[in-house]
Amino acid sequence: MRINPDLTRDMLAGLAQDRQQEDQAIQELSTGRKVNQPSDNPAAVAGLIVNNAQTSAVNTYLSNIASLQGSMQEADSTLNSVITSLSQAISLAVEGANGTLNQSDRNALVQEVNGIQQQILGYANQSFQGNYLFAGTAVKTMPFVADSSLSSGVSYAGNTGVNSVEIGDGQAVPTNLPGSQLFTAPGADVFQALADLSSALSSGSNIPAAENEVQNAFNYINAQRTFYGATLSRLNTATTFLNDESLQLSQEQNNLVGADMAAAASQLTQAETALDATLAAGGKVSQYSLLDYLT
Amino acid sequence: MATLFGALSIAVRSLYAQEGALDTTANNISNVNTPGYSRELPILNEAPPLDTGQVSIGNGVDFDGVQSVRDNILELRIDQETQQQSQLQSYVNSMNQVQSLFNETEGAGISDALNQFFNSFQQLADNPTDIPSRQAVISAGQDLAAAFQQTGQQLSTIQQGIDQQVVQTVNEINSDTTQLATLNEQISSLQGNSEQAGMLQDQQYSLLNNLSQLVDVAVTNTNSGGLTVTTTNGVPLVAGGQNFSLSTATDSSTGFQDIYSQGADVTSSFIGGQLAGLLQARDQTIPSVLSNLDNLAAGIINSVNAQSQEGYDLNGAKGTNFFQPVVQPTPGSNAGAAENMAVAITDPSLIAASSDGTQGDNANALALANIQNGAVVNGDTATDFYSSLVSEVGNDVSSATDEQESVGLVLTQLQNQRSDTSGVSLDEEAANLILYQRAYEAAAEVVAAINSITSDIIQTV
Repeated sequence: MRINPDLTRDMLAGLAQDRQQEDQAIQELSTGRKVNQPSDNPAAVAGLIVNNAQTSAVNTYLSNIASLQGSMQEADSTLNSVITSLSQAISLAVEGANGTLNQSDRNALVQEVNGIQQQILGYANQSFQGNYLFAGTAVKTMPFVADSSLSSGVSYAGNTGVNSVEIGDGQAVPTNLPGSQLFTAPGADVFQALADLSSALSSGSNIPAAENEVQNAFNYINAQRTFYGATLSRLNTATTFLNDESLQLSQEQNNLVGADMAAAASQLTQAETALDATLAAGGKVSQYSLLDYLT
Repeated sequence: MATLFGALSIAVRSLYAQEGALDTTANNISNVNTPGYSRELPILNEAPPLDTGQVSIGNGVDFDGVQSVRDNILELRIDQETQQQSQLQSYVNSMNQVQSLFNETEGAGISDALNQFFNSFQQLADNPTDIPSRQAVISAGQDLAAAFQQTGQQLSTIQQGIDQQVVQTVNEINSDTTQLATLNEQISSLQGNSEQAGMLQDQQYSLLNNLSQLVDVAVTNTNSGGLTVTTTNGVPLVAGGQNFSLSTATDSSTGFQDIYSQGADVTSSFIGGQLAGLLQARDQTIPSVLSNLDNLAAGIINSVNAQSQEGYDLNGAKGTNFFQPVVQPTPGSNAGAAENMAVAITDPSLIAASSDGTQGDNANALALANIQNGAVVNGDTATDFYSSLVSEVGNDVSSATDEQESVGLVLTQLQNQRSDTSGVSLDEEAANLILYQRAYEAAAEVVAAINSITSDIIQTV
């Protein structure tokens, strides 16, 4: 039988294969990825694109939460101040209901109550990063303005709009309570209650009724404030969940395209050994022919 | 009756024959590295005996030329595999360029721009009156448009490069078929001079193998030793001494070169060789990728524009198109949507974040962000559509590469088989060299012996 005299073709094919394996191992080790182009593993690359979109969404939700937390905490602490002020007004009403006070004592109390109303007006117009917190969605309009035509002395210039922000797929949380719902709700109008208290103290009559009215407003604001507390705690829970999800997504990404460094390193060694062997064999093969022995 | 001079002429004839054999060996050794060369054997025949009355006396050896050792069937098999191999090779080369445009493992490219774009609406929803946030939406939109534009343009550039290769390949085919026709003519004019014909046939097969790299060929041997060559689907290339050139002309609808044979458009008839691989990438795969990309771009543009028009901008005015609207060249076709994608507005206050005209309302910004999770093209979300587009390209390249590898293995084996039969072995040639050299020396000895005998006779006389 005649033997193929040209061994270079097989040798070159072997060398090309060894070099390819070596290349692949080096690429895996240097990039840290076993998938470096779509054809390496089309399904993994498709998964990676979806995974990237999810990761990016999770990061956006986390950044939404971070920016929302700022305004929520600001609103919450502002309402806390409102509540403190209202409880001061209640103390003043209790003091004013005491029959031993004369008119000038009560006038001093009226001054204090008016001061509290101004303070609360300031709180109700609190802004955060240039946006009014209690203006509904009309965040650029100062929501509460002094208005002597009204018995409460304050009118609402904001709207009743509520914005939402997404903190998860399909999960939107409302970001605000409109000021009209907080401060000028029918039956619990903070400014009306304080104005009534102020005039009751001036006249010395109906003080207990006015006190009752302020107490109502106090209870109402206290109840409304839980919206912010509850939302903040929901944001904390969502943050924990999203951090977990982010971790899972990055693990999944690693499973999809990450290189097994140990396997890649041993593949590199194997390829190098094979390459050395092929080169050594190739170097020996074609050195001699019968012609070398003819003299 | 035998004569001394008869013996002399036999010896001289043997000298010639061994010289011829030595020439053949020398030719084989010289061509040990010549591609397509088939080793040759000297044809030595016993010369017709001399009848002298009752006895026949051998008349020595005749050198009847050389014969190429070639397995024609194997040559054709190699040509067929070569056609497939070069088709896959040129296809994979072209598609590797395409897949590098979709290299999402680097974390860049369209999918990243897509995520950034929709996230910018989410961030705008956090603070709908914030001008920097609005500016960020416009920047993200411009980045997304640029990603689509670049990918679309690069696909077109790749297509144009392939188009040039098509023209080159057609020229090479024409050059090969011209040479084949010339060879056919030479062979038929030789009419049975087998030594020269064998050499020319080597060239024929070598050209045919070259041609097989370029295009699919079907070969018929004619009686005169010539080859009739057509493509598999019957486009004539060579018949006898005539070659049929292919020509190219610009297709007015695609702008690419169509291939003509004798006035007929044969562009879609090629099924093998480099030409078929190039045409498959240029006319089928890349247009399909490009059209998917255009549909995706158009889907995003249309959805974002429609939602923008639902809302109100920062000035309380009704929203306008965010992207330049898609201009369909023909109804139902989004061709060019990716390459022409551009953001229509430059003033950040014109982004329609509000759903009721209030500055601080963010509902429309949220709706715009949520386009990411809604169906924008063929019932798929943009991300899903894009990921299946990329995985299709990847699958295409990976299956063509696998096939190319397996065809390559077959081809290597066939070529080894060819070498088994036709390759020059230096060992064998060295052995032959000794053989012919010794025979020559022996014949020379005979001449010397006869010389000595005749000299004796002359001196005796």
